[in-house]
Amino acid sequence: MRRLGLRARVSAGFAVGALLLAASMALVSYELTRRSLLDERERTALRAAYFDAAVVRSGLDTEQPDIVEVLRSLDTGGNRRPLLHRGDDWYGRTADTGLTAAVPQELQQLVRAGAPAVQRVQVNGQPTLLVGVPLAPSISYYELTSLRELDHTLQVLALALTAVAIMVAGSGAALGWYATRHSLRPLTAVADAAQKIAAGNFTARLASTTDPDLARLSTSFNDMVDQLSRRIERDRRFAADVSHELRSPLQTLAAATSVLANRRDRLDERTATAAGLVADEITRFQRLVNDLIELARSDQAADRAPVDVVVLARRTCQARRLPDTLVQAAEDLGPSWLVDERRFAQILANLVDNAERYGGGPVAVRLSRQGGTGIVEVDDEGPGVPVGDREAIFDRFVRGRAAHSRAAGDGTGLGLALVAQHAAAHGGRVTVGDRPGGGARFRVELPGALP
Amino acid sequence: MTGVLVIEDDDRIRLALLLALEDEGYTVRGAATAEEGLRMQRRDPADNVLVDLMLPGLDGFECIRQLRRDDDVPIVVVSARDDTHDIVAALEAGADDYVVKPVAVKELSARLRALRRRTRGAAPPVPVFTCGELEISPDAGEVRRAGRTVPVTRTEFRLLCELAEHAGRVLSRQQLLQRVWGYDTGDERLVDVHVGRLRQKIEDDPGNPRHLVTLRGLGYKLHR
Repeated sequence: MRRLGLRARVSAGFAVGALLLAASMALVSYELTRRSLLDERERTALRAAYFDAAVVRSGLDTEQPDIVEVLRSLDTGGNRRPLLHRGDDWYGRTADTGLTAAVPQELQQLVRAGAPAVQRVQVNGQPTLLVGVPLAPSISYYELTSLRELDHTLQVLALALTAVAIMVAGSGAALGWYATRHSLRPLTAVADAAQKIAAGNFTARLASTTDPDLARLSTSFNDMVDQLSRRIERDRRFAADVSHELRSPLQTLAAATSVLANRRDRLDERTATAAGLVADEITRFQRLVNDLIELARSDQAADRAPVDVVVLARRTCQARRLPDTLVQAAEDLGPSWLVDERRFAQILANLVDNAERYGGGPVAVRLSRQGGTGIVEVDDEGPGVPVGDREAIFDRFVRGRAAHSRAAGDGTGLGLALVAQHAAAHGGRVTVGDRPGGGARFRVELPGALP
Repeated sequence: MTGVLVIEDDDRIRLALLLALEDEGYTVRGAATAEEGLRMQRRDPADNVLVDLMLPGLDGFECIRQLRRDDDVPIVVVSARDDTHDIVAALEAGADDYVVKPVAVKELSARLRALRRRTRGAAPPVPVFTCGELEISPDAGEVRRAGRTVPVTRTEFRLLCELAEHAGRVLSRQQLLQRVWGYDTGDERLVDVHVGRLRQKIEDDPGNPRHLVTLRGLGYKLHR
C-alpha cells in the first residue's frame, strides 16, 4: 500500500482528532439531554398515573361500577392509555386488550404485591412508559404513556449532533491542510533548492529566516550546500591540476625524445635501445594520462549532435592504415546518428585498437540499427574472450589473457572501460560475444541515436 | 627557415621544444613571459607563435589578444588545459589553432607547416566574390564590407575564400578542417569558433547571420 504524504497524514490526524472530540461531546450532551428529558417525562407520567389511579379508585367505590366507563371518563389526552387488572381480567377503554400483553409478568407481580412500578416497554413497536399503581389487593391500575414524541425529539437531536460532529471533523481536516501548508512551506523551499542543486546550480540557497524553528534547517542546509560545492570545485580543480601537472613534464619528455630519435644513428646500440624504450614508454604514458583524464570526466553527460558515423568509421580505419572496406553500413542506417561525436569516435577507435592489439586485427566494423538504437559491432579473428572474462574485461586495468602471455601489451588497460563508460553516457552498453567462425565480436548499443 | 616564437614559462618545456623544433628545421626563439614574447614579436616578428595559456603576469589569452592587435601572425596555443571553455576562449581571443600538451613534435611541425601554406597566399585564384555589400578579393587578400576594408586574420581569410569558392553549397566542418587547416582529423570547434569570429566582422547581426549560415548537422554555407 502506498503511504500517504505527510500533509495528508497530518490533515487526517486533525480530522480524526476533531471527530473524536466532537463525537464524544455529542454523545455526552445527547445522553444528558436524553436522561433529563426521560426523567421529566417519567415524573410527569407518574404524577398523571397517580392522579388517574385516584380517579379510578373513587369510581370503583360505587356499587356495581362499570369499569370501562370509569376508564373512559379519565381525561388522559391522546398520549396515555389506562388499563385495569382485576383478578384475572383486564379492562381497557376499548376492546383492544393487545396492550395487556405488553405488561411484563414481573411488573404485574410487583404491583400486585403493593408496590408502584415504572418500566419502559415496547408496545406494537412503539416506545412506551408503563406505570403500575396498586389500587386494592387484587386490583392494579396501569397507564401506558407513549414516548413517541420524545423519541422523535431525541432522533432529531441525535441527527443534529451527528451532523455537527461531521462538520467539526471536516473543519479539522481543512484546518490541518491549511496549517500544514504553512508549516510545510519551508520544506517546499528546501525541495526546490535541492532540485536546483541536483540540476547543477550550486548557487541555489535557502533564504535566511528569523524563525528560530526554521533557522537551524536553513543554516545547516546552506552549510551543507556550501561544503558540497566547495568539495566539487576542489575535485574539479584537483583533476585539472593533476592533468596539467602530468601533461607539462610529458611535453618536455615528448620533445626531448624526439630530439633523441632524430639522432638515433649517432648513438651506440645500447644507448639507442634505451632511448627507444624511453620513447615507447612515454607514448604509452601519454595515452594512459589521456585515458585517465577521460575516465575522470565520467560524470559528464553525452553531448549529442548529428554525426555521419560511416565517414567517422572509415576515417578511424584509415588513420590506422586499415582498409576502409572493413566498414559495413546497414542500408537503413540514415544519414547521421545523434551521438556525442568525441565519445563515439573513441568507442570506434578503442574497439579497433583492441582488435588490433589482442584479436589479430579487425575483420569487420559494422554499423546498423534496431529501431532507434544505433549498433556498432567490431569483429576480429583472434582467440575470442572466454565466457568467464566477458564482464571483467570492461573493468579498468584489466587486459585480455592473450596480453598477459604476450607480456608486452602497449595498451593502457583502460580502452574497453572507456568504451563501456561512453556507451553508458548514451544510456547504452557494450557486450562481447563469439564471432561466428571464430574470434570475438564487440557490440555497442547506443539508444536514442536514431529517431 | 622560418622563425617560431615559443612563449612558455616552463624552462624545461621551452628548451625541449626549442631543441626539437630546431631539429625540424625551424629557427626558434623562446620567451618566458607574455610581456617578453610581445616585445620580441614587435622588434623582430616571427612567422609563427606558439603560446602557453598559463603564464605569469599577462596570461595567454591576453597575450593572444595583444599579438592579434599588432598583426595576423598565425598563433598556435600549446596548453595542458583541455577544457572546452579554455579552448573556445583562446580561439575567440584570436588563436588560429589549439593543441593540448603533450603534443608530438612531428604533429606540431605538421600543423605549423599547414599554417604556413595557408599564410603564404596559397589561396586558389578565384574572381572577386560579392555577396550583398560584402566583397572578397582573393588575389588582393582583402575583404570589404560596404566599401570599407574589414581586418581579418589569414586563417579567417582562407576560411572565407573556401566558403566563397563553394558559395551556395554546404561545406561540412571536416571538409573545412581539411581545406583550411590541412587536417585529416581535427577538432571541429576550430571551425565553429573561426566562423563565429568571421560573423562578428561580416554580419550586421552576428547572432542572426544572413551571409554565413549554419546548417544544423551538415556544416556551413555562404549565400551567394
